[in-house]
Amino acid sequence: MNDTNPRRLTIARAMAEAVQQEMQQDPKVFVMGEDIGALGGVFGNTRGLLEEFGSERIRDTPISETAFIGAGVGAAQDGMRPIVELMFVDFFGVCFDAIYNNMAKNNYFSGGNVKVPMVIMTSTGGGYSDGGQHSQCLYGTFAHLPGMKVVAPSNAYDAKGLMTAAIRDDSPVIFMYHKGLQGMGWLGTEAGATVDTPEASYEIEIGKAKVVREGTDVTIVGLAMGVHNGLRAADQLAARGVSAEVIDLRSLVPLDRDTVINSVRKTGRLIVVDEDYQSYGVSGEIITSVVEHDYSILRAAPKRVAYPDVPIPFARPMEQFCLPNAEKIVAAYDAM
Amino acid sequence: MDIIISDDVLDDDAEAVITVWFVNAGEQIMKGALMVEIMAAKVQYEMLAPASGILNIVAGVDAVVRKGDIIGSIQAG
Repeated sequence: MNDTNPRRLTIARAMAEAVQQEMQQDPKVFVMGEDIGALGGVFGNTRGLLEEFGSERIRDTPISETAFIGAGVGAAQDGMRPIVELMFVDFFGVCFDAIYNNMAKNNYFSGGNVKVPMVIMTSTGGGYSDGGQHSQCLYGTFAHLPGMKVVAPSNAYDAKGLMTAAIRDDSPVIFMYHKGLQGMGWLGTEAGATVDTPEASYEIEIGKAKVVREGTDVTIVGLAMGVHNGLRAADQLAARGVSAEVIDLRSLVPLDRDTVINSVRKTGRLIVVDEDYQSYGVSGEIITSVVEHDYSILRAAPKRVAYPDVPIPFARPMEQFCLPNAEKIVAAYDAM
Repeated sequence: MDIIISDDVLDDDAEAVITVWFVNAGEQIMKGALMVEIMAAKVQYEMLAPASGILNIVAGVDAVVRKGDIIGSIQAG
């Protein structure tokens, strides 16, 4: 690379670069998961690592999440810094005891004597007709449980900085990357996720949201794919003279409630966009954060554009009908 | 200089889809820089810039391409 080229990366490449740079710095960092070696990850986020670091540190595993997530917890407690891939977040069912009873809680159970500096990177999201057990987001499921940090980037720059921060963090971190943002053709392509990304290593603080578009009339809060839908909706609203502010949460745990509250104090209106199921989830938590703080800053009842509480359909017209999109966000504004 | 899908990227009968241009049309690119990714059968291949200059894109993202196709060009300047 050189100085004159823009350095645009996909999220997949940005994740791989963050892992590569941390592995070069710290011999305790290693990667485990299904097809993360020779294939480079089914979503491209470990490409090139096996060639550089070898099979001791880039470890392909059998299809047994129960075993290898548990092995990751043990390695982390023993002083290593494992990055373990759960290929689809939907597969969490077979390994959740290791995640939420061991990884998330052992620091607490041990009175702080045991650290579990582990990253689980896992793919989320649908939109490409992969069925109800390969298309979920499950943000709320993970963010609900204490003891783990949870991040979900919307673009390559944030993905690299959040991954670097996650690897260096002494707490367990769930790194949730949306398949539709990876720059992989068969998963759909969101051009806005592929952005200029510095080669030099850097961190993005976990727990800080970002205002990605400033506005005065309505606050649209989203994460991952929801940010891009929110930006498209903001464009459509702007054409009608409505000024929308768009917030990228970037982290769910810790949650940057202040950035949301400060924005709604200015706009008076709140729409939350979430590709996870609507009930008992992120959208309710964001709205509650504002209402609990000061309900008088709202000039209209808040709205949410989330996934309906149904299993995700395989059939393309049915799945597309259920997914959040810009038109639904604009309609939510019109209903306020 | 034309940018051509070459032998070492795709087999004779394979179809691929352009997934990412890492540089926008009209921007400067340097020889050897990461330029474009294409995907065939769920495997991604990268192509590096064959020359330095201004990039012109003929086949955009989601375009279906085969071996020998011209997907863009680089004009020295």
